[in-house]
Amino acid sequence: MADIISTDHPLTRAQQILLAALLDTLVPGSDDGAMPSAAEVQFDVYLLAQAEEFVPLLKSALQCFEPSFVDLPLTDRCERVREFSVSDPQLFQALLTRVYDCYYQNDRVRVQIGVVTGAPFPQGNQVTPGDLSLLDPVIRNSDRHVYRKP
Amino acid sequence: MADDVVDVLIIGAGASGAAVAWSLADTRMRIVCFEQGDWTNPSDYPSTAANWESQAYGPYHIDPNVRGRDTDYPINNDESAVTVVNFNGVGGSTILYGAHFPRLHPSDFRVRTLDGVADDWPIDYDTLEPYFATNDRMMGVSGLAGDPMYPAKQPPLPPLPMGLIGEAVARGFNKLGWHWWPSDSAIISQPYQGRDKCVNLGPCISGCAQGGKSSTDITYWPEAIRRGVELRTRCRVREITVNEHGFAHGVVYYNAAGEECFQRAEVIVMACNGVGTPRILLNSKSAQFPDGLANSSGLVGRNLMFHPIAFVQGLFDERLDSHKGPQACCILSKQFYETDTSRGFVRGYNMQIARGSGPLGTAMAGYVSGTIPWGPGHHEAFRQRFDHVASIGILCEDLPEEHNTVTLDPTRVDSNGIPAPKITYRYSDNSMKMMEHGQARATEALLAAGAQTVTSSGPLRVSGWHLLGTARTGKNPERSVVNHWGRSHDVKNLFIVDGSVFVTGGGVNPASTIQAWALYVADTMKKNLANLFD
Repeated sequence: MADIISTDHPLTRAQQILLAALLDTLVPGSDDGAMPSAAEVQFDVYLLAQAEEFVPLLKSALQCFEPSFVDLPLTDRCERVREFSVSDPQLFQALLTRVYDCYYQNDRVRVQIGVVTGAPFPQGNQVTPGDLSLLDPVIRNSDRHVYRKP
Repeated sequence: MADDVVDVLIIGAGASGAAVAWSLADTRMRIVCFEQGDWTNPSDYPSTAANWESQAYGPYHIDPNVRGRDTDYPINNDESAVTVVNFNGVGGSTILYGAHFPRLHPSDFRVRTLDGVADDWPIDYDTLEPYFATNDRMMGVSGLAGDPMYPAKQPPLPPLPMGLIGEAVARGFNKLGWHWWPSDSAIISQPYQGRDKCVNLGPCISGCAQGGKSSTDITYWPEAIRRGVELRTRCRVREITVNEHGFAHGVVYYNAAGEECFQRAEVIVMACNGVGTPRILLNSKSAQFPDGLANSSGLVGRNLMFHPIAFVQGLFDERLDSHKGPQACCILSKQFYETDTSRGFVRGYNMQIARGSGPLGTAMAGYVSGTIPWGPGHHEAFRQRFDHVASIGILCEDLPEEHNTVTLDPTRVDSNGIPAPKITYRYSDNSMKMMEHGQARATEALLAAGAQTVTSSGPLRVSGWHLLGTARTGKNPERSVVNHWGRSHDVKNLFIVDGSVFVTGGGVNPASTIQAWALYVADTMKKNLANLFD
């Protein structure tokens, strides 16, 4: 959360700290360290570049959490987030969508889950051609599958 | 300009408008096409950006009410079980379609004769067969010859790769002894006519940046324009006017500046889809046609058909690479396509194997379904599902019912003040029984294929891709809107070439048949030019 100079950042310092804890609660890093936490994938950069219109809603979401949220152990933070998700499911789903949208664009994350980094175009994907000899039983039984003649 | 008369005015530059324009260009008549939308720029499509998944929920959303471009018109779906999806621009809904490209079957044209329901078409499969073949060549269709569920046909290009997902489901079908076949797809598997082949970007239904998907802006239109057809964008038709002899005289339309204009035409061809066409006809009221143009039968806007759709998903232990490749095009099964009354319903459905979602779609679907939690456990659950899911879409035949309608909304209007269409639609008992059967059979197939768990959802609401039946073809003017070659029974210089004319909808995606119909109508017009209005 430190790649934007502070004067340009849409959130106060306190809000940034709260957001980092919230992101880390929604998508914690994996135990093996392979998958980063959502707090490590430059959500603030994403916000300004792709989701600026979400900033007011994000501020509303952050207002639902006390400053002490950041010092809670993960299980307690999860419980607080769960309460928030029940009290305002629409806002929570909007938040989660943005968090996942940012998270799964991250190159490190994409490499880990086997997705090409960046845009699909122009690199595309390799797809296994598939074994057309699997059609042999269909062809052998084509008398059973023949189309219906009017 | 009242004295500027075009020979043929085509309304709509989508699947059928493009095909009819290209074919009629043979005549060297002055042909103009009005399109309410713009050309799209493939470099703007979501797949050119890393956030392609979220972008697909914005300017390229399939639902025009969500997309909300000023080139779209609002659609009132409040009284419909299905939400209409479309795209308004050059290429029409082929810009956002999945390009699954099966033809109607021979039996689909004889539903009354074979099964005692609905009505027969006034033409048959053999009538359209040469136009199917021409259309396959013009669009660039990939597939595999030899499917026993069809008369012989030869797609111009080899099939798309079915991938691990296709292999897995095919094995399931084979265990059950069921039919399956690689899908005919309007996506080029090899370089074709100056276009480079599909590179498996994935998100076909938000536009193909590669140009591998055969949308008509890159297939028919460049050819038609080279042959002299004039395509004018940002021309939104409000109504068709008639002269004292009951012939279509021209159209009132709005240009890009929102100015009301008039265009005279000797012949008008409607290609606005099964919602747009009845909308304009119903809005074209006059003393001679007080119930709307070409509506002496009272059937304009009636008999609206969609294809009720359900999805059944299987979760596999093995990785299926399911986010890779064309979303809608893989393999299909027609095992339950034809009527078997022991199933408790008439007609049948297509099983269409669909590839999986991208990571954002997977994560959000997992959240909604409760299968992928946020917080601790997210990564493990995500790993188990992402690229491990195979889906079978159940696409059911929807029989025509007159209470399913497109009418004019009494209050809602588009940005030019033209009344919006209102959809009134409910599923029939037959469709529901068919869907239930399809969901059970798809579950069986996925379990046979090795799925560990199977879930099912349907009928899907945002699924109104196929807009059919609202200006049906037929020989009896009291029971149809256009004759057996697309000419209005009431207005001799008015033709309809889009999916409105479908008498029945079959159980397959209709784009191929819509375009074959458009080419057939154009060819018949050419053969009858000397006495087109007799």
